Amino acid sequence: MNQPSPSPAPSISLQARNVSKSFTSGAVRATVLHDLTLDMRAGELTLISGPSGCGKSTLLAILSGLQGTDSGHVIALGQDLSVLDKRALERFRLHHTGFVFQGFNLFPALNALEQVELPLSYLGLTPVEARRRARASLEEVGLGPRMGLRPSELSGGEKQRVAIARALAKEPDLLFADEPTSALDSANGQIIIDILHRIARTHGTTVLCVSHDPRLVGHADRVLGMEDGRILSDRVPSPLSTPTPGIEEPSA
Amino acid sequence: MVSLARKTLVYEWRRFLPAIVAVGFAGLLQLLQAALVLGIFGSASVYITGSSADLWAGYPGTQSVNLGRSIDAGVEMRLRMDPAVTAVEPFHWVDADWRGPSDTGGVSVFVSGINARPDGMLFAHALPPALRARLNEPDAVIVDRADLDSLGVRVGDSAVINGHRVRVVGVSNGLRALGGVNVVASLATASELDTDPSNVNRMTYFVAQLRDPAAAAEVAERLRGNRAFGKYDVWTAQDFARRSQLYWMFDTGAGAGVLFLAGIVFLVGAVITSQTLVAAVIGSIREYATLNALGVGVGELRKVVMEQAFWVGAIGLVGSTVLGGIALVLARTRSVPVALDPWTALACLVVGMGLAIVSGLAAMRSLHRADPATLLR
Repeated sequence: MNQPSPSPAPSISLQARNVSKSFTSGAVRATVLHDLTLDMRAGELTLISGPSGCGKSTLLAILSGLQGTDSGHVIALGQDLSVLDKRALERFRLHHTGFVFQGFNLFPALNALEQVELPLSYLGLTPVEARRRARASLEEVGLGPRMGLRPSELSGGEKQRVAIARALAKEPDLLFADEPTSALDSANGQIIIDILHRIARTHGTTVLCVSHDPRLVGHADRVLGMEDGRILSDRVPSPLSTPTPGIEEPSA
Repeated sequence: MVSLARKTLVYEWRRFLPAIVAVGFAGLLQLLQAALVLGIFGSASVYITGSSADLWAGYPGTQSVNLGRSIDAGVEMRLRMDPAVTAVEPFHWVDADWRGPSDTGGVSVFVSGINARPDGMLFAHALPPALRARLNEPDAVIVDRADLDSLGVRVGDSAVINGHRVRVVGVSNGLRALGGVNVVASLATASELDTDPSNVNRMTYFVAQLRDPAAAAEVAERLRGNRAFGKYDVWTAQDFARRSQLYWMFDTGAGAGVLFLAGIVFLVGAVITSQTLVAAVIGSIREYATLNALGVGVGELRKVVMEQAFWVGAIGLVGSTVLGGIALVLARTRSVPVALDPWTALACLVVGMGLAIVSGLAAMRSLHRADPATLLR
């Protein structure tokens, strides 16, 4: 495994500037993110880890443009997301972002190839080009021989790889993954994180992964420790580090 | 382009089946209801639609062909004087009381006195020439095959109409009427049966054939103004037939009943279909949300739902059409009065598709739950 290369400094692709977010539930107002400022670089796999409820999923939703901020700005690829309306955000996500979720969220009726092709057809690609890209993505995640199978015929790890291929085929600049391994056993979790890491390296993609899975720490280029809506630590893990007790520890 | 809507419909057909069946049955019910109504009320104008006349002259304001009052016999001359008219013949309508040889009690019958010559216009479509010729025998009458039982006679039997003996010389199809039993006789026989002394030298209707049937409306307009022969009015056959059917439909309240039932069928079908489609959308809501996260717009997702609704409608209506066709053939073989013209059938299918589309719109609303932020939990 390669050491993360800090020089020459890769370009900053995703920035949070003084981002705050709170939710109101009845009379109680809970602040989830406290004046958070953050830079993320292209070509890196950044892992945000922390106990559940620490605000890491909210941070992911805000950085990816799925949710707005109460105050502060998110600047993705030089574009301030807070000035975009719903349509423009959809268009931005279509062209620049990929998502991988904890649940694989695959359509039961479609085979692996069609799952990957489906979002591509909305990009305005020709059917031939969409199919070529879908095949290439599935080959890249190692599902070449199984691309004709439906989700019911695939294992959990294979389904997550289809989901990754679906995000990857769009050739996004930003790839967001929310707990991508928590539904998988350790061997499959290992495969998934390796694929995500490789995508960051070979495609120059900004990969932001949210997880409380300590096994992933050693595979990230950068680990942000989060608790109570604040970033408490920002470090480059040694490749074979074991999780240190503390904020990276899963809470549940 | 991967067709998510169609692939899902095929793969998860069990999930969509209730909606398809609901649309199918709603379409079938609309079709059969329309066919029955048209069949039953179409027989109200069997005198007009079974005849080859282009124009009908009768008492002004006559709402239905069975409600005719007599007009002056001189109207025949007025019609013949018009250069566009090629033939005129009288139609003698008698409301009468029938007593058959069997114990059927009194039966209310409508006697149609018609020109029995082979070129006669009245019932030209319902009576074959040989049968029509037999009306020339004294006191001969013809009835519909389906009415034999209610009249309590067989072919060759004698009966009594308004105290006058008549003989059934034959039966035909397509003579069934609404509100009574049709009995066809020659003009001579009919005038024997008419006991109303005020009808002497008067006739219920005169019908006319035109050189150019397409000009019927124009000629009717021209003939209508003349008052020299007392009160009469002239209508095209099409207008008079429609007026008779509408009179029966609304006089009996059947029209309102039909519309009410059509509304109920639509409502029940839409409830079932929309609930099924909503359940299908909710069942895939996380996948839809994922597509939205990947940048596929809500508008595109709505299109998927509407396409599903369209296919549910289309498949359901193909079923309605097939079943409806079988039901109509079955009804015809059993002498059940059914009639369906292509436009009405099309209207029924459009209503069925409207049901599917309305349900799709309802299901589309549940897409607002496809919020990708909810996937980050």
